[in-house]
Amino acid sequence: MIRKPAPIPLRQTGEVEIDVRDVTIAFERDGGELVPAVDRVSFQVRRGEFICLLGPSGCGKSTLLNAVAGFESPYEGEVVVAGKSVTGPGPDRGVVFQQPRLFPWKSVKANVAHGPRMAGKSRAEAGAIADELIEMVGLTRSANALPHTLSGGMQQRVAIARALANRPGILLMDEPFGALDAQTRSVMQESLLRLWAQLDTTILFVTHDIDEAVLLADRVLVMSAGPGRIIRDVAVDIPRPRTIETTLGADFQALRRECLDLIRQQSQKAFEGNTDA
Amino acid sequence: MADISTSAVVPPRAAGSLAASGAKRRRDARLRQRLNMAVGLVSIPLFLLLWQLIAQAKIVNPILFPAPTVVARAAMEWVASGEFAQDLAASLKRVATGYVVGSIVGVGCGLLTGRSAFFSGLLGPLFQVLRPIPPIAFVSIVILWFGLSESGKVFLIVWGVFFTVWLSTHLGVQKVDQGLVRAAQMLGTPRRRLVGEVVLLSALPFIVVGLRTAVGISFYTLVAAELAGAFAGIFYRIQLAQQNMQTGLVFAGLAALGLISFIADRCFAMLAQRLVWWR
Ligand SMILES: Nc1ncnc2c1ncn2[C@@H]1O[C@H](COP(=O)(O)OP(=O)(O)O)[C@@H](O)[C@H]1O
Ligand SMILES: [Mg+2]
Repeated sequence: MIRKPAPIPLRQTGEVEIDVRDVTIAFERDGGELVPAVDRVSFQVRRGEFICLLGPSGCGKSTLLNAVAGFESPYEGEVVVAGKSVTGPGPDRGVVFQQPRLFPWKSVKANVAHGPRMAGKSRAEAGAIADELIEMVGLTRSANALPHTLSGGMQQRVAIARALANRPGILLMDEPFGALDAQTRSVMQESLLRLWAQLDTTILFVTHDIDEAVLLADRVLVMSAGPGRIIRDVAVDIPRPRTIETTLGADFQALRRECLDLIRQQSQKAFEGNTDA
Repeated sequence: MADISTSAVVPPRAAGSLAASGAKRRRDARLRQRLNMAVGLVSIPLFLLLWQLIAQAKIVNPILFPAPTVVARAAMEWVASGEFAQDLAASLKRVATGYVVGSIVGVGCGLLTGRSAFFSGLLGPLFQVLRPIPPIAFVSIVILWFGLSESGKVFLIVWGVFFTVWLSTHLGVQKVDQGLVRAAQMLGTPRRRLVGEVVLLSALPFIVVGLRTAVGISFYTLVAAELAGAFAGIFYRIQLAQQNMQTGLVFAGLAALGLISFIADRCFAMLAQRLVWWR
């Protein structure tokens, strides 16, 4: 996925990049009743960190990520990114969705070049940026292909390249590998880690896959079943670079165990909550 | 147990051994395809032959049902006199003008009502009530409004085309994938450019269906338009021929109408494929 094995920089955790302050987001049920999907959540992400939001399905991970992306506005509280309150989506926060959501009428290159074009770059400049990123994700040969001719994994790589094209300080990823088969997912996880090591990007990564969270993250924020709250901030002090081999180590297994127990309790709670209702 | 064969017992296949059966399959498929094509080619000649036989057998009144040969002669005279070219030009000009204007206004209104709940509420009910009124019902009022001028005829075709294009655009815009809109927004696409960059292209497959239906409609409406009094045009010629009992020319006119709208539809189908190039 990348050209050269990148040097492994000591990641320096700098100032606070994402500050989620007491955020509550509710949705209206059919009866008009307001039900919180995310309830008074606070957390901070420092520059350059790789943070995973981990929780069972429906616990409000996407809602929370969408609030940082600017697609949802909090009912209460606020999201502050790089010192400014978030009021809407913007090119400073690249988003990779679970579905690739590529523009089907644009070639791979044009998809990646879209952001720089919107930022006012000339066709040539945007094209050069796109070429570089497409090379980084290893798709140079498919640069002129239309998205629907690519496999799911390739499409998701284009989506990552596209989200990085504006050189955003923050990359938000919502279960980006959730729809991929296990082999492809594992390859994509390693590539993402290498890409992140190369770029100076803060990553907030949503997943319900415990192994994925522990493999990728500096910290795993474990969420409760709905309404979503953060119940544990698990620091993952496994040295980098990490590969698929990392998952075999004892330290990985211990952290995995810790998260698993937390998630189990939550899923159990959610299940009982549903049967009572 | 022992008689259950597994793949392990099947001897390996000799290289190229599939070629023979593959070739036979292909030959059969090609033969079937040719047969179907041949049937398609004889469809119209067969119909004409049958018609000719019935007409010559004098089973029906030959003045009311002229034989294909009579129709062909009338058609040739029509072309030779130069009137056909005039009629064709007059009709095509009306259809094209009405179609283009109706489509542009239709797409514009569809974008407006599809994107904005306010305009949808304001215009939607009005359009839905006006839409089912057949354009031909407006002929009398159009004559009062526009007299025998060209604008009246174009107006009728615009009317016929507009609602179909508006509705398909409206629906297409409402069905736009919000995920794509979000993707565009996070890439920094300004609000005012969302329509051009995402909404219009997302809705294009729907719009194209509407535009294609509108091609047919514009030719139906042409008949209504030329009913509103014209000095040239295919349907004008049909009416004139009917008044003079030139049934051969009437049929030639009908055939011309059918042929022209058929060709227009084919051309549009080819264009549509280019319009939605990513499909
Ligand atoms: N647009 C919406 N309208 C109504 N309810 C929603 C909407 N989006 C999410 N929800 C509800 O909010 C809760 C959290 O959803 P989501 O954030 O998608 O969970 P996750 O991503 O963790 O699976 C769910 O109960 C879901 O039904
Ligand atoms: Mg989700």
